[in-house]
Amino acid sequence: MSGLWPLTVRELKKWVRNPTFLLTGLIQPIFWIALFGSAFDITRFFPQASSAILDGAPNYITYIVGGVLTTMGLFTAMFAGTQIIFDRRLGPMGRFLSSPIRRSSIVFSKILSSVIRIMPQVVILVVAAYLIPNGLEFPNGFTILDVLVLVTAIILVAFIFSSIFSVIATRMTNMQSIFGIVNMVNLPLMFMSFAMFSSQMMAPWLANIAQYNPVSWSAESIRMVIINGSLTASQWGQVGEWLGALAALAAALLLLTAYLVEKEIRD
Amino acid sequence: MKAIETKNLTKIYGGHLKAVDALNLTIDEGEIYGLAGPNGAGKTTTINMLVTRITPTSGTAIVGGFDITKNSIDVRRLIGVVPQDFTADEDLTGRENMMMVSQFYDVPKAKAQETCNSLLKLVNLEEAADRLVRTYSGGMRKRLELIIGLIHEPKILFLDEPTLGLDVQTRTQMWNYVKEIQSRLNVTIILTSHYLEEIDELAGRVSIIDHGKVLITGTPAELKESLKGDIINLTLSDQKGADLMKTAPDALEVTDSGPNAVRIKVISADESLPKIINFISQHELSTVKLTVQKPTLDEVFLEYTGRSIRDEEGEDTRKMAMNMRRARQ
Repeated sequence: MSGLWPLTVRELKKWVRNPTFLLTGLIQPIFWIALFGSAFDITRFFPQASSAILDGAPNYITYIVGGVLTTMGLFTAMFAGTQIIFDRRLGPMGRFLSSPIRRSSIVFSKILSSVIRIMPQVVILVVAAYLIPNGLEFPNGFTILDVLVLVTAIILVAFIFSSIFSVIATRMTNMQSIFGIVNMVNLPLMFMSFAMFSSQMMAPWLANIAQYNPVSWSAESIRMVIINGSLTASQWGQVGEWLGALAALAAALLLLTAYLVEKEIRD
Repeated sequence: MKAIETKNLTKIYGGHLKAVDALNLTIDEGEIYGLAGPNGAGKTTTINMLVTRITPTSGTAIVGGFDITKNSIDVRRLIGVVPQDFTADEDLTGRENMMMVSQFYDVPKAKAQETCNSLLKLVNLEEAADRLVRTYSGGMRKRLELIIGLIHEPKILFLDEPTLGLDVQTRTQMWNYVKEIQSRLNVTIILTSHYLEEIDELAGRVSIIDHGKVLITGTPAELKESLKGDIINLTLSDQKGADLMKTAPDALEVTDSGPNAVRIKVISADESLPKIINFISQHELSTVKLTVQKPTLDEVFLEYTGRSIRDEEGEDTRKMAMNMRRARQ
């Protein structure tokens, strides 16, 4: 797709050249794991039952790493659309639209660059979680296949939410509107999922909704490989279901994005 | 061959607002063609249709041999656009902006680097090429926009208000660049401008547009001649002589323009001036001052649109100032 790579490189150059943007993005995962790991650790109140509540994870940090990684991917991806509004308001969109590149490559460059930007955050978060006291443990080892599951889940979540918010942004001219929408849905998406808490810790109605949330599918897949290391066939079947659902949703949304954006992108 | 040909090109917004009304234009290859008109005349809508940013409601346009609705990607490959607003990314350097745009057109890297260097040299931006665009002055940004539009060596270049908001010195410099580009690259240039002296200086032919229609087309000289009225200003040594000039030959209209002074309107000063000088010597009149005033494009504009373009400029200067402010934020 002509234009996709140069536009993605442009986004990454802008990211690297903005020290505040770059540093806050890299420091954020450390805060997340340290604060979330302490703030939400309700196993302190039920030390006897903690292993059951945490699906066999040795501690709460190990339990929530998958959820925090997914949520971080979700939050970064949601802001992919804001750059589209900046491009429209500051002028570059006019240049893109009068060139022969596909309209969709403008949007896909935002999606792709946000997916790439998430990767160093993933590494930092995993390392930080591992280094903090009573932190991340791999009780049953961690294989290259497990790494692939982790990375795939986050990439798919990033594709899903950056597609949704990029399409919304192509139909908006006001930055406040997109921030408003992001702020309205980010916390509900996080708390209506198994990112931070297992289903036993939730009200039944909430757990019912959470099982259909893509954030849950990603968090649960990562959690499964971190806690179990080498998976059994039935565990692989479960992870395959979650990742399959994420992949199907991501593919459908990317196709829909391409269709909608080619049809109409506002100048 | 024609670079651009439009047939009854029409754009209607919201079912009733006719921005462009059955517009017919024929632009030859290699010429600089000016489009002049008041705000809301339909210039930018016309350009936006020709560069395939928006689709026409009806009518057709062929740009570089391609239909703008059926072959929009081919049209975009062929044309260069220098929009009124800044489009360069200010977080990239001038050179990075150019190289990025060259990739949009699949220009091979080595070729793009070569073209980039020669264009930067052409507009004297070599030294600033590797600085972030945010550090550029307004004039430097305009020069950069001009050459970004040329990085893929287009056959047709659309220049929308290329010197809006620039000081007089920088504007004259930009004119020289545009002339140089046109002669060196043999590119067809479609120029819209509020500065009629700019169109007069650069354009081989010009169309005055209002209410989405072409009011008149011709060379700037033809348009000025079409007004049929040069002015000869004459100051004599006494009022008696000034009064006598009211019977001067070829005079269409003679009005008093001050003490001992008259303003004589003639069809062509070139033809009438010798006769008037003879008339003065025959009557042994003594002249203090004699000047000839040819009509400007401003007067042509006023004649055909009923409005002075100066009334339009205030609004555009404000718009430019807002763009500059926005770009700096």
